[in-house]
Amino acid sequence: MLYILLAILFIIGLVYLYRKRSPPAKKVSRSQENANLIKVLLELDEEPREQLFNLYKEEFGDNAARYARQTYQKWKAGSVRPNKQTFRRFLIHLPRVMSFDLKCEVLRELREAYCAHDNYRISVYTDDWKETLTPMIQNVVEKALTAELPESLNKRLTWLAEDDVTVANAILAESQARETQNSLMLLEKEFSNIEKVLDNVPGTRKVTHALKLPLGEITLDVKRRRGNE
Amino acid sequence: MSDENDDLIPQKQSLFPLTADDIVDNALQSLDEQQAKEVTKKAADEVVRIAVEKRKAEYRSDRAQEEMRNLINNANLLDEKVGDYKINSTFETATGTTSVEITKSKTNFTFVVVGVVLFLLLILLFVLIWLIR
Repeated sequence: MLYILLAILFIIGLVYLYRKRSPPAKKVSRSQENANLIKVLLELDEEPREQLFNLYKEEFGDNAARYARQTYQKWKAGSVRPNKQTFRRFLIHLPRVMSFDLKCEVLRELREAYCAHDNYRISVYTDDWKETLTPMIQNVVEKALTAELPESLNKRLTWLAEDDVTVANAILAESQARETQNSLMLLEKEFSNIEKVLDNVPGTRKVTHALKLPLGEITLDVKRRRGNE
Repeated sequence: MSDENDDLIPQKQSLFPLTADDIVDNALQSLDEQQAKEVTKKAADEVVRIAVEKRKAEYRSDRAQEEMRNLINNANLLDEKVGDYKINSTFETATGTTSVEITKSKTNFTFVVVGVVLFLLLILLFVLIWLIR
């Protein structure tokens, strides 16, 4: 009897471990995918967002535009899920009539939301941060230049494969790479400020710097070598 | 005859697929004049935008420098007047966010010292008892 109980407990344990190791894959429904895409689109800055709504009005009339303006905060917050027609209007039809400039801004939002992001956390000393960070940032620059939107998105939004969007993508990639390089230059002064804090403050000091890059974030735990204290 | 033979010779062609640069070059060549103008304008706008963002970042950096200077002063003032303190500060800087945590606790330090001394005394006591036995 005891052996049977032990065997049952063993099997339950195995099943529990198996389930814990392989959690069921979360499948995102098509309507949720559409809602997420609309949300990304509505992250546009005020000026391009205005352009988008004006274009929406031109293409689909006053009533549709009024409804879109009234509901946009709810779409953005996720409290109302846009229907298929809204998705098609915003992300299939409008891109065909958008200016190149607006298309670039939409693409920028899509890249920020859907291109792979790298997040690192490393410890650096005030005297070796440059040696540690430079290759890492170069790597992020390389990735920004070659970052691509997921294949599934390209299949759904076929306008992403058009020639002008290909060029827009190249411009934005170059732009993100330059922004990343600028961050490295600006870090020099940041570290000088951090070093002053570590040098001049009494007590135990813990300094963390979150370096925000267009396609990722590097969290730095900044330390000062004991010999330098 | 010789012309026919020439046709049969495979043309020198790369076996590798198009590179990203080739794709962009091809796309650029397919644009009409109006599109090409828009592309040139957007590229110029991006250069300006990056320069403006850099200037804004430099301004944030100056402000953070000032705030950190204040933090140093405040921490030193506290250190003179108060025994225990903890400061948490966050600064929006040029490239992100810097978080600083400063703690000083004399009480804790005293507790640790007393604890260590008691522990050592206890060991000494055990050793003495063991030696007497």
